[in-house]
Amino acid sequence: MEAPPVTMMPVTGGTINMMEYLLQGSVLDHSLESLIHRLRGLCDNMELETFLDHEMVFLLKGQQASPFVLRARRSMDRAGAPWHLRYLGQPEVGDKNRHALVRNCVDIATSENLTDFLMEMGFRMDHEFVAKGHLFRKGIMKIMVYKIYRILVPGNTESIEALSLSYLVELSVVAPAGQDMVSDDMRNFAEQLKPLVHLEKIDPKRLM
Amino acid sequence: MLRTHCPASRLGINLLHLTPASLSVSQMPVAEGKSVQQTVELLTRKLEMLGAEKQGTFCVDCETYHTAASTLGSQGQTGKLMYVMHNSEYPLSCFALFENGPCLIADTNFDVLMVKLKGFFQSAKASKIETRGTRYQYCDFLVKVGTVTMGPSARGISVEVEYGPCVVASDCWNLLLEFLQSFLGSHTPGAPTVFGNRHDTVYGPADTMVQYMELFNKIRKQQQVPVAGIR
Repeated sequence: MEAPPVTMMPVTGGTINMMEYLLQGSVLDHSLESLIHRLRGLCDNMELETFLDHEMVFLLKGQQASPFVLRARRSMDRAGAPWHLRYLGQPEVGDKNRHALVRNCVDIATSENLTDFLMEMGFRMDHEFVAKGHLFRKGIMKIMVYKIYRILVPGNTESIEALSLSYLVELSVVAPAGQDMVSDDMRNFAEQLKPLVHLEKIDPKRLM
Repeated sequence: MLRTHCPASRLGINLLHLTPASLSVSQMPVAEGKSVQQTVELLTRKLEMLGAEKQGTFCVDCETYHTAASTLGSQGQTGKLMYVMHNSEYPLSCFALFENGPCLIADTNFDVLMVKLKGFFQSAKASKIETRGTRYQYCDFLVKVGTVTMGPSARGISVEVEYGPCVVASDCWNLLLEFLQSFLGSHTPGAPTVFGNRHDTVYGPADTMVQYMELFNKIRKQQQVPVAGIR
């Protein structure tokens, strides 16, 4: 049982509903350099920022038709960073004019025993992967260019294999509900990355 | 009176919380013929006579959740109780724990997540319990005397004593005990179970929350303080 749609409710129970606005695209490996070069020119980062993360997706099954999904992410290259727990709601079905995918999101920083705790709550891990790539920022927009790696032996992040010959490119903003002008700014930025990469609103349901 | 020194221990600071010093949480029984409030006043007066200084207030609260029946069926396990607690000493954090299980330290967005998980975890509204009171600083000791309430009724008294300089509990338990005796007298508690299990490990905020959870559970099971005593 998911919470009711939140775009109409900027505040629920005293807390602000945060929404993630998302545009996605991809580039083949050989085009990576030119894309990074363009992004370095357009974005705020002074230094090239890279990341190596391990993400595990957990499901809690109940009598409801769809299980509750939580994503636990940890940094493999930054010692001492907290674990990141993320809840993403269903994409808001809305305005066809809205340029980005919008969904409710809750981001929580946690201690290292997150996976033990989720198991104790009744969650079970559905799948995991390693993400390695670059991070750029422009104002409140975050741009990630990364490669997804399959983990060959569950739990062992040393032996990984690239999933494809391309990089996933994501442009996202996390902002309070109701700020639709955010998606206009994102579309304008995405225009500047053409024709290197075409960022668009991709509904995950259409892929299944 | 008690001028103390403990070998300097490293205090670790990480992104989520400050490692606190070693700390004991116990319950003070209500004095014979007195109300909860009067007993709290007796204690705080004793502390003030010792020379302790008031330093603001504190609050520790605890909400209980149980796995919804609909989730149990498919998991094939008995329902577990999950406690979600807050401590004013760590205003940006939220603690979630299972009895004899892991204690998760998260930021306050965890509360927002619990709202989303309404269908899977139900909170027993009547079970919300909290303790509120005054903080007293006495040299290296921080003492918090609180009134434990469930809804409108006062159910008991909590006493928390923290010894600042030492982070390894077993190194300073005797010192804590001596200090506790100086103002609790015969009501001095035994060593908390969290100290017992891991002798040389560094004490952390999770250990404090486990102690409060045990205290709240004990108080919940006790008989209510007679109505006449609550004023």
